[in-house]
Amino acid sequence: MKRLGCISQISLIIIAVCLMVIPFVYESRSTLILLTQIFIFAIFAMSYDILLGYTGIVSFGHAMFFGIGAYTTGILLQRQEPTMGIFILSIIVGIIISVIVSYIVGLMTLRLKSHFYAMLTLAFASLFQVASEKWRSLTSGNDGFTFRIPEILIDRSTFYLICLILMVILYFMLQRFTQSPMGSVLIAIRENEQRAESLGYKVLHYKIIASIIAGATACLAGSLYAASLRFVNTSVFTMDTTLDALLMTIIGGVGTLLGPVIGAGLIEFAHHWLSGLAEKYPLFERWIIFFGIIYILAVMFFPKGIVGSIQGWKAGKKLKKAVKVKHEKKIAG
Amino acid sequence: MELMLNLIINGLATGMLVFLLAAGLTLIFGLMDVLNFAHGGFFAWGAFSAVWLYSLSGSFFVAIIGAIATGIMLGIFTEKIIIKPVYGNHIQQILITLGFMLVLTEFIKVVWGPNQMAAKTPEFLTGSWELGNVILIKYRVFIIIIALIVYSMVQIALKKTKIGLIVRAGVMDKEMVQALGINIKKVFMFVFIVGSAMAALGGALIAPYSGVVYAEMGMEYAILAFIVVVIGGMGSFSGSLFAAILVGLSGSFMAYFIPDLSLAVNMLLMAIVLIFRPQGLFISRG
Repeated sequence: MKRLGCISQISLIIIAVCLMVIPFVYESRSTLILLTQIFIFAIFAMSYDILLGYTGIVSFGHAMFFGIGAYTTGILLQRQEPTMGIFILSIIVGIIISVIVSYIVGLMTLRLKSHFYAMLTLAFASLFQVASEKWRSLTSGNDGFTFRIPEILIDRSTFYLICLILMVILYFMLQRFTQSPMGSVLIAIRENEQRAESLGYKVLHYKIIASIIAGATACLAGSLYAASLRFVNTSVFTMDTTLDALLMTIIGGVGTLLGPVIGAGLIEFAHHWLSGLAEKYPLFERWIIFFGIIYILAVMFFPKGIVGSIQGWKAGKKLKKAVKVKHEKKIAG
Repeated sequence: MELMLNLIINGLATGMLVFLLAAGLTLIFGLMDVLNFAHGGFFAWGAFSAVWLYSLSGSFFVAIIGAIATGIMLGIFTEKIIIKPVYGNHIQQILITLGFMLVLTEFIKVVWGPNQMAAKTPEFLTGSWELGNVILIKYRVFIIIIALIVYSMVQIALKKTKIGLIVRAGVMDKEMVQALGINIKKVFMFVFIVGSAMAALGGALIAPYSGVVYAEMGMEYAILAFIVVVIGGMGSFSGSLFAAILVGLSGSFMAYFIPDLSLAVNMLLMAIVLIFRPQGLFISRG
């Protein structure tokens, strides 16, 4: 199994290298922009998977961290000189804010049943949305505002490479995190909370750490998102943003970090393609319905998602093979 | 004084509407541990079908009956198709009901178009009464009266009838009720339908009150209903009435004095309740 993991690890690195070459050989701005969006949403979806897939807590307000990142970057770059230093500073400030917010929200609600966290994160995210609409002096309300980004980032292919590299780094960092002893405790909480508690783990403590890590990662994705659009408005705080992450994670595969990345690719492509179709056929303007139905069916019949199902299928095949070998040995012996 | 009274009536009317939404939510949760995120969808569907039927038939009574019928049908469909397959799995329930909420909201836009619809107040409820120098807007009083009638009907049904007894016992300890040979899933289905009918009624009543209906209103009011359910205590019917009035009043007073902070105040109320009494104000067990 370990060897298999090693092989898939290497193939992932090869894919990443191939993606890195794309901007040098293929000159299409719209493809580059689409791929950049995919990388950013992959980071966002991976952060969501830390909560949903590894710790087993459902958050409906993950957009709030995404939005915090987007607005911090937007506001700082608009008010200050658009230099790389300010951009990095804005990412750090955003992460600090989202750590504080996720700590407070987690402390209040994570000691209760999972329903409360889902409900309260939803309410908190709507609070942030209302705040971003009302605090006009800072956010220009519903219309949002544009801002300039550091000169290095203006080149689309540089920005593409930065997003790709960040995604790969975060993928390996989060993978390292989920395989660490701490990650095992999180999985134990997901599987059986009472048992983890009675083994002496402070469940609340671990859940809060998971939500902080997820919040900080989502915040980084938000900063990149704002920088990629050079524009930010209240839509980053809406339910739709959370739903995107939810869809990507569920369809790609919960509890596997690769799943959200694949899910992000699929959903963003479908997004792009369906909005293209909507220009011709008005029915496709309501493409969210299709996503909603696919999502419901996925939760019902396909709860492991694409990557999870493939893994399960592989494991099943291996098991069958092992049983067969054992059986043959028995006959021979 | 006059201002205060108007604000109170206003707050009570909003609170009552939220109560109609929250009551179903809290009973469904108390009985089966199902938190239905699609509940706001029933509310929006009730509102749209009432406005549509009212513009077709011109009779407010038909509109309300139609909205309730819509709520009942949606309730049966949701319980059978969406919730039944995932009983007992909390995470799946939360995820699937949210997905269904999304579909319900989008489907409104397919049926009635993406724009908001204007809602008219029926003639016999427009205008206001003047008592001395106090002006009472008729429609707001009407909402309060209807909601109080619904509250007392459900309360009587819970206290006096056999099925109410089973529901109350089920909220307390559903394993015990099942062990006594009662099929609690059937009772649950009944409660679910009553809850969705109440949500649709709330939607039908809010349409003339706010003047317009739009597809996203379901989610907005559902968030208020969640706050109410948390404050009142999950599973407490009277608690949800009290908490809804509290939320409605604080909302209307804040909307008058500091309009930007009205949602924030409700959130603050909820945060205080969560810190000091996480099980809610009206639940004695932990």
